[in-house]
Amino acid sequence: MIRSRFAPLAAGASAVILSALIAGCSSGATGATTASGDSSAIAQGGTIVYGHEQEPPCLYGGWLQQAYIDRNILDSLVTEANNGSIEPWLATSWTVSGNGLVYTFHLKPGVKFTDGTPLNAAAVAYNFNYWEKGGNSTAQVSMDPYYKSATAVNATTVQVTLNKPYLPLLTMISQAYFGIQSPTALKRSAAANCDDPVGSGAFTVKQWIHGQEVILVKNPDYTSWPATALHKGPAIVNEVDWKFLPDAVERYESLVTGETNVIYDVPTVDWSNAKANFQVTQYITPGKPVSIYLNTSEGIFTDARLRQAFAYGADREADVQAAFHGVIPYEGNPSVSRATPGYDAAVAGAYPYDPAKANQLLNEAGWTGRDAAGYRTKDGKELDVRFPYPAGSVVTSEGTSLLETLQQQWKQIGFNVQLIPETQAQTFAGAYSTPNSYDAQPWYWTSPSAAILWIVWRPSTKADPNYSNSSFYNNNQLSALIQEGNTAATTPAADQYYGQAQAIIQDQAAAVGLYDQTMSIAVAKNLHDVWLEKSQGEPVFEDAYFTK
Amino acid sequence: MSQVAEATVPVASRRPAARPSARTARLILVKIVSAILVLVAAASVTFFAQLLVPGSRAVAILNQQTGRAQLWTPAQLAPVNHEFGFDKPLIVQYLDYVGGLFRGNLGTSYTQYRPVTQVIGAELLPSLELTAASLVAAWVLAIAAILLTAKRGRFFSALGSTWEALTASLPTYWVGVVLLVVFAVEIRIFPVIGGTSAWGTVLPVLTLAIPLAGFLGQVTRDEFEKVLDQPFITTARTRGMGDTAVRLKHALRHSVLPAITLSGWAMGALISGAVIAENVYGRPGIGQVLVNAVNTRDVPTVSGIVLVVAGVYVIANLLVDIAYALVDPRLRAS
Amino acid sequence: MSSISFPRAGALARLGSLRIPVRPGTAVPLLIVLLVTVAAIAPGVLTHRSPTAIDIEHTLLPPSLSHPFGTDDAGRDLYTRVVYGARESLGIGLGATGLAMSIALLLGFIAGLAGGLVDVVINRILEVAFAFPVLLLALLLIAIYGPSLTTEIVAVGIGSAPGYARMVRGQVLNVRKAAYVEAAAALGHRRHAVVRRHLFPNAMRPLVAMITLGVGQSIVWASGLAFLGLGVAPPSPEWGALLDYGREYITTSWWLEIMPGLVIVLVALSVTALGRTLQHRLEGAAR
Repeated sequence: MIRSRFAPLAAGASAVILSALIAGCSSGATGATTASGDSSAIAQGGTIVYGHEQEPPCLYGGWLQQAYIDRNILDSLVTEANNGSIEPWLATSWTVSGNGLVYTFHLKPGVKFTDGTPLNAAAVAYNFNYWEKGGNSTAQVSMDPYYKSATAVNATTVQVTLNKPYLPLLTMISQAYFGIQSPTALKRSAAANCDDPVGSGAFTVKQWIHGQEVILVKNPDYTSWPATALHKGPAIVNEVDWKFLPDAVERYESLVTGETNVIYDVPTVDWSNAKANFQVTQYITPGKPVSIYLNTSEGIFTDARLRQAFAYGADREADVQAAFHGVIPYEGNPSVSRATPGYDAAVAGAYPYDPAKANQLLNEAGWTGRDAAGYRTKDGKELDVRFPYPAGSVVTSEGTSLLETLQQQWKQIGFNVQLIPETQAQTFAGAYSTPNSYDAQPWYWTSPSAAILWIVWRPSTKADPNYSNSSFYNNNQLSALIQEGNTAATTPAADQYYGQAQAIIQDQAAAVGLYDQTMSIAVAKNLHDVWLEKSQGEPVFEDAYFTK
Repeated sequence: MSQVAEATVPVASRRPAARPSARTARLILVKIVSAILVLVAAASVTFFAQLLVPGSRAVAILNQQTGRAQLWTPAQLAPVNHEFGFDKPLIVQYLDYVGGLFRGNLGTSYTQYRPVTQVIGAELLPSLELTAASLVAAWVLAIAAILLTAKRGRFFSALGSTWEALTASLPTYWVGVVLLVVFAVEIRIFPVIGGTSAWGTVLPVLTLAIPLAGFLGQVTRDEFEKVLDQPFITTARTRGMGDTAVRLKHALRHSVLPAITLSGWAMGALISGAVIAENVYGRPGIGQVLVNAVNTRDVPTVSGIVLVVAGVYVIANLLVDIAYALVDPRLRAS
Repeated sequence: MSSISFPRAGALARLGSLRIPVRPGTAVPLLIVLLVTVAAIAPGVLTHRSPTAIDIEHTLLPPSLSHPFGTDDAGRDLYTRVVYGARESLGIGLGATGLAMSIALLLGFIAGLAGGLVDVVINRILEVAFAFPVLLLALLLIAIYGPSLTTEIVAVGIGSAPGYARMVRGQVLNVRKAAYVEAAAALGHRRHAVVRRHLFPNAMRPLVAMITLGVGQSIVWASGLAFLGLGVAPPSPEWGALLDYGREYITTSWWLEIMPGLVIVLVALSVTALGRTLQHRLEGAAR
């Protein structure tokens, strides 16, 4: 008996029904809104359901995902305001010695950690030493080699001594990586500190249901809000359910149906819909933008002309605009993102799309042959570019689409760009981190100041390797300029040096700019005063409140 | 007919475990021992497979702690290597691990500092619930489709088998995303974030059950229709047994054997599919733990999960054997 | 059951003489499978565009006459990408199933024929293998060897093999006990002749449909792996990769997710339908 006669018919019918249902959704889902401007009566209490994306393995550490949570449970010494200035937090005031080597912080008296331990100068000094010894590798690398010691002068005065002047210090310690934890708590086991960091912040960790959510509850005895807080006092809401929803479709739709009140990272395709129905905030991450490291130590990119041809050879700006639907900005400056203090805008305009120039450079460099596929050759070798990229974790599917478009344009001038997606396993294993394993690789760094230049571009030596220098670009002149910037006495002076450093990196095309790392949140219309911290873009819930 | 059959079968063989003899006891012991061997073998294979992964575990651990991907200096790696025992010879590490297994200790997660039993434990239950519910739902859907449409005329037959073939060809997460958008976002019957609530489990269960029902249905339908052609069915009908009763009491029982065999395999497919469903619906479960653990080279956790999955299989196979015995009288006698 | 009869040996080899009538019910799946095969071997026949031809002016267009499946966010024609993706997707389907069946036949026949200790050992090996669902195997293999077409084929192949091996073994045991095999042995036919002429064809016949089902399932599985980021490298238009990519667009540009999905469903459906037709024909011929 032939049953399959109807198969295509039935399949077709199902398809039509499905498509109709889903095409009907294309008109855009409606958001769960309350009429704004109704009664602006502030509702006390309530629970914020926040749809975050990635769950970290521990709640405290050197990863951005941990900074997001820590900002709400730990306080830092100082905070960065939106205009870049440093404002008081746990430290109500501070002085810097004339030579820039000694920072004296005066702490707010009477502050306690949520486990009852007093937050005094000894506790702060303990934290500094804890970071330096590796308790937080991101904190550590931000302070090395400038940090010397931290001591408690009296109960409310702590002194931090440096080896060399370091102007970015205050900006760096405003990050949540430098959140002050209770020394009593830090002496617990690694497992306890992983699950339940203890600070003095507006919320405490009530429970962590792995794979699902972290439940934060209000700290009713909160007295140490930062100067940038939107209200004075403990948190208004009672609880924050920090949910982990890795799937972007689910995350956004949960906001649409009202099951969450805030979500992280609006998919760019839903951007206009989100802006129409929710309060959307985009945060451009300071630090190093997503730019392409070019391996200057081995392979084809040891020749600067090839690097420059690579930069001229694809229409990076137009492609970024198209790939991210205009939501994520193109960044021509490969070393510093536009949201970073010390960013040099003039540098960003270099290497506009110019295939003629690119071809000319390639010809000059001797790559004049062409093989059957159209790729350039020289002495029988093909112009191959091994291009691994961290798929999923750093480069989203739109980012992948962008790379594919660029790949096609590079092909036209003769580069054979081989895109190699790295799985997370390979990325964490450091699979493509040695000089013989790639020619080009995109990455970003978050950092609130241009001091990121030192972290990334410090020359790597045998005695003191710099594994963050993924272009393997050792330039002593560059190194000197960055150090001058770090140890400069005033910000304008520092910016001068930083600008020169950025110019060198761009002129030499040690890296090629792509786009700024961004994140965004979308907030339901009946939830107010959720804001993003300036230094790392962490969502802050201590001032948030619902209206009816 | 069945009453007649049961009357003639000796009472003792209706309850095979009624009088355990020494032979049965030894059989059970052998089964248990071989099950343990299988479990240890599975865990060992995983352990060594992970050691084959290029790169050093210490590097992966440090990278995971900072969200970075870089090399680390030997001075930075040494304390990590020491803390986790990576500087011991491989065979010692393996023996330590297996020794721990026999003491009931699955080891400690490299990234979460907690015992693996804790890491897996909390998330195992939701996955098992999802898998078990999906298997049951798949069976219900498959049997309903067969009972309603098999051998009821050309059109219904064709409809039924086409439906099965269609659903068996659906990729899991395609179903998941479509169901999510249609039934949770557009028509808001179910929540988008199901969590572990019963109502929120419906869509994930359907996501897994629908393709599996198609698969099981196809296999069973063939048998079902063959059985309906058998002489003893005609005999039952001529004795006045209604069509529904015939289908339910006789045909079904004889035709489900291949699908029962497949159910053992289906558990594995469901566990894999559960990862996808958990991801699409934000449900906690083993799936996400597994993917993370492999990505971060958390060897004890991956091995622990394999152990659990193998354990589930051993139990599932035991159940299948029992189901066989219950369903097929021919097997009971032997 | 029916009386003793000798099934015609080499039934598979006499396929040509079976004269399968081409009715609409067989014709449509056959046509679809032929189209997919053409797409895999000579995609240029079915489309004049290139799958990587970007066109920033015409991104995210819904289906139309000039773009039957619409375009994606780089302006690439989705229909063309689906056509070019057939090679890899079909390759995974055939490769994985071929690998799985080879392993399954080997283990299943040895276990079924040899019996005794060999059977017990092979059963234990299969149980260990069952502890590694396809996904886990894929994760481990890809962690070791990196994502690639080969790794996917091996992962899906090895992952599916134990299930098939069990079935093959079951079939071999069944047929072995069948009256006609005993009769053939009693008549003095040599052992390997019995295997070749009676056991093998009759054990395999019910599995023909399973094989085609397996091809469909492998294609579907590969798309699942792509969802978890374990798929092949871009800009490969492998169907699973297309599905994974189209997910975010489901509420705004639905064709990116629906069209590749429909193609996968139709192809898996057609392959399965053809397999069942084939099996019915073979069983009919065998009686």
